[in-house]
Amino acid sequence: MKSSKVIHSTTFTTKYISYLVPALTNIGSLRASCDVDEETKKMVRYEVDMALALSAKGFAWSRALKHKLRLNYNDDDRVGDGHGEPVTKKPKTEHEEEERMMCLRKLIPGGKEIMADDEMLLSELGSYVSCLELQVNILRSMLQNN
Amino acid sequence: MDVTALDRQQATYPLELCASSVPLFQSYLGSVPIVELKRPEAYLGGDGFHEFVYFPVGGGPEFGDSEKLNLVPPDAAPDYCISRTSSCQMTAFHAAAMKEEREDMILEKMESTTGSGSRESFTKRKAEVVADQKSKDKRIKGEVEGESEVKTKCSTQVSRNSSKENSKACEVQKPDYIHVRARRGQATDSHSLAERARREKISKKMKCLQDLVPGCNKVTGKAGMLDEIINYVQSLQRQVEFLSMKIAALNSSVEFNVENLPIKEFPAYVANFPAAAKLPAMPSLTCFQLNPMQKEAVNCMLNETMHPPLTATEGIASASLSIPEQALSSSTITQLQPFSTWNMDPQGLYNVYNMGFH
Repeated sequence: MKSSKVIHSTTFTTKYISYLVPALTNIGSLRASCDVDEETKKMVRYEVDMALALSAKGFAWSRALKHKLRLNYNDDDRVGDGHGEPVTKKPKTEHEEEERMMCLRKLIPGGKEIMADDEMLLSELGSYVSCLELQVNILRSMLQNN
Repeated sequence: MDVTALDRQQATYPLELCASSVPLFQSYLGSVPIVELKRPEAYLGGDGFHEFVYFPVGGGPEFGDSEKLNLVPPDAAPDYCISRTSSCQMTAFHAAAMKEEREDMILEKMESTTGSGSRESFTKRKAEVVADQKSKDKRIKGEVEGESEVKTKCSTQVSRNSSKENSKACEVQKPDYIHVRARRGQATDSHSLAERARREKISKKMKCLQDLVPGCNKVTGKAGMLDEIINYVQSLQRQVEFLSMKIAALNSSVEFNVENLPIKEFPAYVANFPAAAKLPAMPSLTCFQLNPMQKEAVNCMLNETMHPPLTATEGIASASLSIPEQALSSSTITQLQPFSTWNMDPQGLYNVYNMGFH
């Protein structure tokens, strides 16, 4: 069953918070005695990403993100910037558009594996950007209120 | 950018289906007036933060419209990137009748302007389209009232336009067909038509993204826009990284008070919760021990606002502190699934979560 393709900001936000806050509380209690270290940061980052993947079901990128997170977590690898992808530079050479599309593919989770055709990439990009925005908003507001 | 006539139809099916559907083209020869279609933008709110965003998989629907017609009020959301409705996406109106009419016109026009060869293939295509249309009509799910509004306005538009322009006017349903009009002198073999249709779809999506990514309006050209999008995505990802670092740093010391948002809307949540609003035992949460500082923070926050809290933290706190029952009842929030059962007031919630992102 595919969920709706519409991103509702309210639904997303409530889902996101409902996933993240308990998870953070969990981490908080588990790591209460330790200093903030790499492990904690890694756990938090994992939860932040996982909350994103779970709150936006029905997209190729969210499935890919979930998959990637689970793989990385099991392998004990760090989930780095851009969900494991390095920050890439803009291409300035010929075949500009193609290179840029390649760049985008690296940025979006599952871009290289799943989104072979440009059209799909652009569709997925739209929802991904919206969800990222919402996510940043939520995280920022969570910090502001402290 | 190519100025083409577009009868865009929305495929709302999973990607696998879309990928397998054959794009259908109707090509026109001869010089026919071509109207450039603008997408009416139905933005909500002024902060650039869309309430609903719609991203179809597969073909993207769009409303073709002349600049003059203010097609639909924001509520009906003709722009598929943004929709205020809370149900499934705005596909299109029931245009079966209209489509048939359009096809008839197209067929007529074809017969008059082209030779017999294209007529035959066109007839075949028409049959395909109709067959597909009918099968997909059945799958159209509950439309929103906005759609009928759109339909009325569209039909007004259609009736107003000349017959040649009718085919471009409004959107229809599921089949992932892009109708591409060949301009004078352009090749009309299937490859270039396919290519043109593909490019049309891509440029539609680019337009959608343009609305989403700030600062795209000033840039022209695909490459520039892609650049902007890349920059934006990278900056968002960096922000997420940074914010999650900060959260990790804070996590062990202070609790997160999502409740300090403008929370006058929150009582609306609680009112709609199921009747199991008693203080639950919360067995799953009692293992968490709040350190004194956390308890303090939570307690302070609860004291200063009488509004029901929203987080598991509150739930935990409520188990260990004495808190008015109203606050306690809201602790069931964290255990309620799925959230779709809430009767939320979208506008209120939107305000709640409006953090002035931009």
